[in-house]
Amino acid sequence: MKINPAFAEKLLTRFIKEELSKFHFKKGILGLSGGLDSTICVYLAVRAIGPKNVVVLIMPYKDTFGRDVQDAMDIARRLKLKPCVINISPMVDAYYTKHPTDNRILKGNKMARERMSILYDFSEREKALILGTSNKTELLLGYGTIHGDMACAINPLGDLYKTQIRQLARHLKIPEKILKKKPTAGLWTGQTDEGELGLSYAKIDKILFQLADLRKSKKEVISEGFPKQDVEKIIRLIKGSEFKRHLPPIPKISARTVGHDFLYPYDRDR
Amino acid sequence: MINCDNFFIMKIALAQISPKLGDMNHNFRMHIDYIQKAKKKNVDLLVFPELSLTGYTLKDMVEEIALDPHTDPLFKKLKGLSSEISFVVGFVEEKEKGLYVNSAAFFSHGKIAHIHRKIYLPTYGMFEELKFFGQGKNFHTFPTPFGKAGMLICYDFLHISSSYLLFVGGSELIIAISAAPGRGFSDDEGYASTRMWELMGEAVSRFFQSFVIYCNRVGFEDGKSFAGGSFIYNPGGQLVAKSPYVDEDFLVKNIDLEEIRRFRKYRPYRRDEKPEITLEAFKRIVAKYED
Repeated sequence: MKINPAFAEKLLTRFIKEELSKFHFKKGILGLSGGLDSTICVYLAVRAIGPKNVVVLIMPYKDTFGRDVQDAMDIARRLKLKPCVINISPMVDAYYTKHPTDNRILKGNKMARERMSILYDFSEREKALILGTSNKTELLLGYGTIHGDMACAINPLGDLYKTQIRQLARHLKIPEKILKKKPTAGLWTGQTDEGELGLSYAKIDKILFQLADLRKSKKEVISEGFPKQDVEKIIRLIKGSEFKRHLPPIPKISARTVGHDFLYPYDRDR
Repeated sequence: MINCDNFFIMKIALAQISPKLGDMNHNFRMHIDYIQKAKKKNVDLLVFPELSLTGYTLKDMVEEIALDPHTDPLFKKLKGLSSEISFVVGFVEEKEKGLYVNSAAFFSHGKIAHIHRKIYLPTYGMFEELKFFGQGKNFHTFPTPFGKAGMLICYDFLHISSSYLLFVGGSELIIAISAAPGRGFSDDEGYASTRMWELMGEAVSRFFQSFVIYCNRVGFEDGKSFAGGSFIYNPGGQLVAKSPYVDEDFLVKNIDLEEIRRFRKYRPYRRDEKPEITLEAFKRIVAKYED
């Protein structure tokens, strides 16, 4: 689980720089929430391509997360960025006035997709490539909104567990107040990831590391002392979210089919 | 090359580059630039990484980018350039109609001195080479202006028998070209997986008493990060030079070919090797293999 943060910084900044150049973009764009992952991502982006080439959007819903907005503004100021603040309340509320619901998860997903929609709009306006901020823990558990916060052009943090991102955060010297915050997807007031998942990231990541990185079986992981119900829960989450990690299946009819045997790299001719 | 009574200096260059995936013309121009640069520095042998002319993650582009080294116009130009300098390039070869292999060509004296076709095609985890390539069939040593050499491509080098066969075949230079993606964190700079290549380089050079010249590539393809860290070991297992990890590099280093004699006099591993015993033992072992 231990990372070499200096090497991670070097590699991820290089990745951001190289991918932008491959796709002929000068600028990168991302949504800043005031949380840890988007903060790390914007720090890396600024180091990779300079503040002039980093576009940041802060997209609050009403004033529910006033402190997060302030933190996001503060991060932008520290990095000499001029953030664009877009309140998503009018769009989200307009929809829910017509189709009301009390379901907090539905609303949270809608907000995530509203932000995605604005990011893609600004990506075109600003000619800036979208940097995702999903980490490895979220990707494996499926703890993200498909076509919402999971949507992006490149995903620099996708191979780092949340606990590894904390190690990188200390190396990048991001403000302590961001590091100390309880991680939240910002779905509703008082929501925390760990509360919703029912396990701490420290515990989750240790189990994920055994299962994914070390390729150990459920039996082996449990025999090493991890609680059975925790291991089973994590395996259930991984299995249940497989669809979030793939393009949708296409029924094969022809001799050559997209996704089956029409196989080209993402970086074709790049 | 400087040849005196007690030393024989040759200059080697390793081009730790990042080819553009699927863009042969761009990569060809890059090769020409490096060849010119190496010529200016009086390099004797310049080594490019695996699939240096094409990039690695080709998938269905394999059949579109494959060429016949005996008739291809770009190869004709490369042959012309090799009259004053020798070099090794990686490419996709159409060996027969519809049969594509991952190959390395050694150019020297205006000709292709040898082509090695990759035998061990990694097809596990993130690798899927067997899906797109046919396999080579043999490990050969061949004469070069610098002594007998053998070539390996990436995963070939991680099978100790490949280097052993070159050793038994009399190799003095083992040239391994690679497109090895990095995996795993390490306490040191670079990836954990890099250690595996260096360990093999050290062991092969020391016990097979050949120079080991390993050229890896850098850059990202579909998120895979090629780890760099190209190196040269002398026939005593000592590191002569190493390129940085993940950064592009052009490494130029003199080596003394007389070291082969010196180390072999000191520890006559090659003289004492008994390939006939190995062969007989292999026959017995393989005969007992079951499904």
